[in-house]
Amino acid sequence: MRDDPVVLALVARAIEGDQRAWDDIVERYAPLVYAICTRYRLGSHDIEDVGQTVWLLLVEHLGKLREPAALPGWLATTTARECLRVVRAASRSDLRSTGRDDSLQFVDDTAIDNEILMAERNASLRALFAELPARCQQLLSMLISDPPYSYARIHETLGIPIGSIGPQRARCLNRLRRSDAFVALDESQIAAKIGGGKADA
Amino acid sequence: MPDDADDEDLLVDVSGDDALLAALREAIKARDNVPARFVETGKSAYAWRNIDAELAQLTYDSDIDERMVAATRSETASIRALTFSSARLSMELEVTANSLLGQIIPPRTGTLEIHTTAGTRVTPVDEIGFFTVDPKPDGSFRLRCRTPDGADVMTGWINL
Repeated sequence: MRDDPVVLALVARAIEGDQRAWDDIVERYAPLVYAICTRYRLGSHDIEDVGQTVWLLLVEHLGKLREPAALPGWLATTTARECLRVVRAASRSDLRSTGRDDSLQFVDDTAIDNEILMAERNASLRALFAELPARCQQLLSMLISDPPYSYARIHETLGIPIGSIGPQRARCLNRLRRSDAFVALDESQIAAKIGGGKADA
Repeated sequence: MPDDADDEDLLVDVSGDDALLAALREAIKARDNVPARFVETGKSAYAWRNIDAELAQLTYDSDIDERMVAATRSETASIRALTFSSARLSMELEVTANSLLGQIIPPRTGTLEIHTTAGTRVTPVDEIGFFTVDPKPDGSFRLRCRTPDGADVMTGWINL
């Protein structure tokens, strides 16, 4: 995960001036930045401000990333710092007016690390999903929608015989599992497990 | 501390079909939770990539005070004040009915650019660091200040 070739290539292209690569970076990591903001329980206005600042800082910082693969870590740390700035500004004035200190709204490093792991895994899964044949994407989308489509409705929409939906689902998922990126993903998960990704009790 | 209940399934074993499907659902949901506007803002930040200015951080906003103390204080807000800080200079801003008054700290002469989506205006900064933006911008804008000693500092987007 640390040297994900996809991320390396995106960063290199964005440094060269490729807006598309930048857009891909934003799409890949916006969920990470957003998830951290919600951990700090910011309101939508503050989340927008933090987002603006984080991406502007990244534009400025892109060429200076010592290790492009460390991008998710940099984004997570920067977002957490900006969130804390907002939380502190709010609690300072809260303290002044009410004498109450709510500033101990603290999100620990483990939580941030977990967000990074989760964001990477999710981004990889979405990329894998996007590479599946259209037919698999349609079927899986229906199965994972909330609430999931019934087999009867899938049959109506996609014309797949009801008895074939189960086997096709298995084939599509196996296809996803067979890709190299999935193997890499699975290994990084295992590495994370061994590497003491200890969940806080 | 915020609840971390959802961390437990972080490292799920995705070898089973149901687990893999559930992981896919989470991945898609994580993306769909993000407002489109949040993503668009991120994409448009790239337009600023060739600007060498140092980004100044918002370090004070009287409006944040107002939001927090509105319930406990009866007097109304007078003037909105903002401070943006960077290593080389800070910009202190006051918002009046029609204009934006500012001073750079430490005080010195320079030029101030007002960047809006419609274009860029320039106004001088006098020898004691004062500048006036009149009329004040009516949409989102960024301020960039350059001084003869080589400081080049820019704020993030400001909405008054």
